[in-house]
Amino acid sequence: MRSFKPEDKLSRTEKMLSTDLDQETVLMSIEAGAYYGMAGTARTIWAKLETPMTFAALVDELVKQYAVTPEACAAELQGFLGEMEKEGLLHVG
Amino acid sequence: MSFGDYYTYGLHIRSEILCPELMPHAQPGEDPEVTIRLLSEVPQVTESLENKYFEVQPRTFRMSVEGVAHYVVEDGRRISVEPAEGATVDKIRLFLLGSAMGALLYQRGLFPLHGSAIETPWGAMIFVGPQGVGKSTLGSQFHRQGYKVLSDDVCAVTPGSAGMEVLPALAHFRLCTDAFERLGVPESGIFHVDKFVVPLGDGYCSHPVPLKAIHVLGNQESGDPKFEVLRGFDRVKFLLENLYRPEYLEHQSTQSDLMRMAGAIAQQSAVVNVTRRRDTALIATMVDFLESAWEENFGPAPVKETSEGEWTNAQL
Repeated sequence: MRSFKPEDKLSRTEKMLSTDLDQETVLMSIEAGAYYGMAGTARTIWAKLETPMTFAALVDELVKQYAVTPEACAAELQGFLGEMEKEGLLHVG
Repeated sequence: MSFGDYYTYGLHIRSEILCPELMPHAQPGEDPEVTIRLLSEVPQVTESLENKYFEVQPRTFRMSVEGVAHYVVEDGRRISVEPAEGATVDKIRLFLLGSAMGALLYQRGLFPLHGSAIETPWGAMIFVGPQGVGKSTLGSQFHRQGYKVLSDDVCAVTPGSAGMEVLPALAHFRLCTDAFERLGVPESGIFHVDKFVVPLGDGYCSHPVPLKAIHVLGNQESGDPKFEVLRGFDRVKFLLENLYRPEYLEHQSTQSDLMRMAGAIAQQSAVVNVTRRRDTALIATMVDFLESAWEENFGPAPVKETSEGEWTNAQL
């Protein structure tokens, strides 16, 4: 799995549809026909990525909102964003 | 040219093709929302349609059924039909009221679910599920027991003044239309359509009804029927999986609107898994089973406050 660098530019991929349901955001990939439910911090991250931003900027945003150190946040994000990229939800570059 | 004025899916439709399946409009004005025209020639279909049954572009849907007709649906307002030589009017209507109407509903931003719908004291109940699972059969069983029918094949859901509503569609059951249309260009010799058309008499519902629940029907090998109210984001998946002809969505600008509507529908109404043994002897008992399940899950049947007048299309 890739290791994200602070300057990596993150954005949502285009071929996704989304809707809100209860406390979740439900995503559907038009191409794969797969569904994803984003709750809690995942939902927050997805919402923030509506505006493309760098990895470092995303960490900054999240540290403001959650009681987490930048280091721990960045480490957590590596895994989560890697998953998102693998599933085709995230565009990097 | 003669024409008929109809009321279906909440729309005033003026059609040069007479459609006894549709409800006559009680008070048609001179400004129909949809016109269906019979033309000797529709705008040329593009080359890409040659080997295909239909073509979807933003705001335009084209369909060619060999030996029946060319259909063009535009802007959610116009359907043009060019009949093939020798085509009978019941064949022409079958695809007009099925596929072409389905494309029109997408163009108008409605949420068309493939299934039947009835009016109950709790609100509208929709039955969806895979091909041949018994959607129309269950709907017709409710009809036999005195329930009013909203639709037997394609249910249009739309946001109304008090949440999501199901719009009334047809005044007839069209059993077996699934099978007729399934393969796009049907085999010859299956077009004895009218014998499957069952007039509902006054057993159809002519006004929009707030949506209570969508039931996804399925079969099980043995045991008692099950009624499971779903939670979680699978509900959105079930709704989208049961859209009518989702392939008509391709390139339509309404795609993201439909996704948002799926979320809103799941939020505001129940999505239920209903499984039972596939046994014709049990069909009649499914009405009792569902009535009990609705009472258990949605509370006692609310007393109906509507006056007799509202059962007709007097409100139009």
